[in-house]
Amino acid sequence: MYKYVFRRIYQLIIVFFLFLVTSYVLFDSIPGNAFQSLLLNPELPREAYDLVIQLYGLDKPLYERVILYIQNFFRGDFGYSYVHYPRTPIELIAERLPRTLMLFAMVNIVAFYTGFLIGKILAWRRGSKSETWITVTSVFSYTVFYPWFALMMLWFFGYKLDWLPIGKFLYPEKWYDSPYDSDVIFVSMIKFIAVASILQMLAFVYTRNIESISARRNVRFTSFMIIIIGSFAYWNTGEMLNQKIYAMDIAYHMILPVFTVTVVAFAGTALLTRTTMMEVMKDDFILTARAKGISQKRIRDRHAARNALLPVVTSFIFTIVTIIDGSVLTETIFSWPGMGQLILDSVLREDIPVAMASFSFIGVFALIAHFIADISYAYLDPRIRIQSQG
Amino acid sequence: MNILEVKNLNMSYETLEGSVAAVKDVTFSLKEGESFGIVGESGCGKTSVAMSLLQLQADNGKITSGEIIFDGKDIVKLNEKELRDVRWSGISIVFQGAMNSWNPVVKIGEQIREAIREHYPDKTKEENTDKIDELFNIVGLDSSIADRYPHELSGGMKQRAVIALALSCDPKLIIADEPTTALDVVIQDQILNEIRKVQNILGLSLIYISHDIAVIAEMTDNMAVMYAGSIVEMGNTKNVFANPQHAYTKMLLESTPSIIGPKKKLRSLDGEPPSLINNDNCCLFSYRCPSPTDMCKNRSIEMKLIKFDDNHYVDQCCMDCG
Repeated sequence: MYKYVFRRIYQLIIVFFLFLVTSYVLFDSIPGNAFQSLLLNPELPREAYDLVIQLYGLDKPLYERVILYIQNFFRGDFGYSYVHYPRTPIELIAERLPRTLMLFAMVNIVAFYTGFLIGKILAWRRGSKSETWITVTSVFSYTVFYPWFALMMLWFFGYKLDWLPIGKFLYPEKWYDSPYDSDVIFVSMIKFIAVASILQMLAFVYTRNIESISARRNVRFTSFMIIIIGSFAYWNTGEMLNQKIYAMDIAYHMILPVFTVTVVAFAGTALLTRTTMMEVMKDDFILTARAKGISQKRIRDRHAARNALLPVVTSFIFTIVTIIDGSVLTETIFSWPGMGQLILDSVLREDIPVAMASFSFIGVFALIAHFIADISYAYLDPRIRIQSQG
Repeated sequence: MNILEVKNLNMSYETLEGSVAAVKDVTFSLKEGESFGIVGESGCGKTSVAMSLLQLQADNGKITSGEIIFDGKDIVKLNEKELRDVRWSGISIVFQGAMNSWNPVVKIGEQIREAIREHYPDKTKEENTDKIDELFNIVGLDSSIADRYPHELSGGMKQRAVIALALSCDPKLIIADEPTTALDVVIQDQILNEIRKVQNILGLSLIYISHDIAVIAEMTDNMAVMYAGSIVEMGNTKNVFANPQHAYTKMLLESTPSIIGPKKKLRSLDGEPPSLINNDNCCLFSYRCPSPTDMCKNRSIEMKLIKFDDNHYVDQCCMDCG
């Protein structure tokens, strides 16, 4: 197993190297550059343009720049943004990332969880009326033209019913005299969710050894309630009490995008789960489980769904990169100024340092996600462990 | 005392082409500690009988009439919750094809533990571990197997572990549904010895289902020969072998080579099992019978077991033609 892990890490480093070089060369091959507009200004002499080019080292040959870029990259120096000059790409990303992270982490988790849940219920109720209807609905939301659907949701919930805000991630008027930056609030929300989910996970892991099923269920329920009560206490004391109204504001703005993307994204997972699970349910060990006298729910979750999990996890890992790079469409429609918009903007304006920094950041994250996927396969399916040792 | 009594069991599968009568008017009983064999060709309803004993038939399989009295209770009438109690702690099954009887992603020990936990929720972890060790000991496996995944075991080990699994909740009756089909002859022999040993130690009742008539001869006290969903001959295993009455039983015996005595040409039965869709209750063997009488050909004689000898019953149409 360790050998396998080391080999994967070694491969990842090589892939990342290739990724960096390729993206730099690709960005370089875009015609023109960010300073072209200087040439159009009749007030400026041509020397000014040349000076800027020289200043940024853009007159050097390509291979020299690639080597310099990679050296600087590993020193943690990403240069300066061409467009927002005094700011560095890191500053820009640090500002945008929490917003995207918050929204899309939520979206992904909710979408995959509901998708998996609905998928396994669909497979279990094969042939019933409810199964037909939910499948038809899922296929509809899987195939619907997403921008149109998002706009319809905005129109319906934001304008027609006027329940939820249209666009933006906060009400600016609420924040005029706010002592906090929105990023601070985002970061503390992310921290809170991360800590709460880790606690919940630990509770699950530690209760695995309780032999009696009912006792285990009770302990798990208690721990869940403790976490809920704990988080109430957390948000109502000291520092957090002040942050609460702002956090609530952001959460309120998140409802519609999360809901919309979930409706579109859950269907893929649900249909995938349904198909794989129906395949698994034909297997003999399901019959063994039934013969053992185990409850239907436990057979469904523990035997059928557990074996159908692998493809779902694969598709989850492939989607998880959107937690970082967001989705340009979603961010544009809901005017959510996150990473997606930053990337689009920097590429269009040829702000190469920012584009490179964001892309390499996504690259690192994607590679780590795939690494985790490989490890979790081995955890989810013991048969892979053996094959992967060679 | 009879631990199991099956009375006039009829079971059919609803399909698009019509209803398939897979089990027709099957009646047999089993005493405590006794072993009972069911033999017949593929598709004759052996497994359907086994599955209906635990109500595990496919969703389209319905028991249309009959009773299955196990331990004083009619299994057909039980609800899901009561059935779950009977399953495994009353009747357990050793399935055909141990390869696929295990959930591939859960450790062997955990899968056995799961069954015990379901039926004895109050036992502690240590008690269950001891129980699993003891079970492995009975079937001749090392206790370290509990920490292994199914794919790490050989076919024979998996089959032994399946037997351990079947014993885990102290059942009164074990149904062995062709437990040795996928194994080679040497391992088959070991597994059969294991089953017999376990049966003797624990005083279990056993229903052994197989198409291998030699195994049935070796394993069982009483046996039934099934054809097209009906029992055509039933009785003490020795009697049936020594003095087979039904034409089908005779053919079955003649199609099996004997390792003693002069070499004989093996006979095979022409034709294939009849379709079971929408049949009347006439003898379905008459199409393939080597010497059908006029009554058989006119399809005017019903299938019905009648007493031939003490503890030996034969279908009535084959009583005379022999």
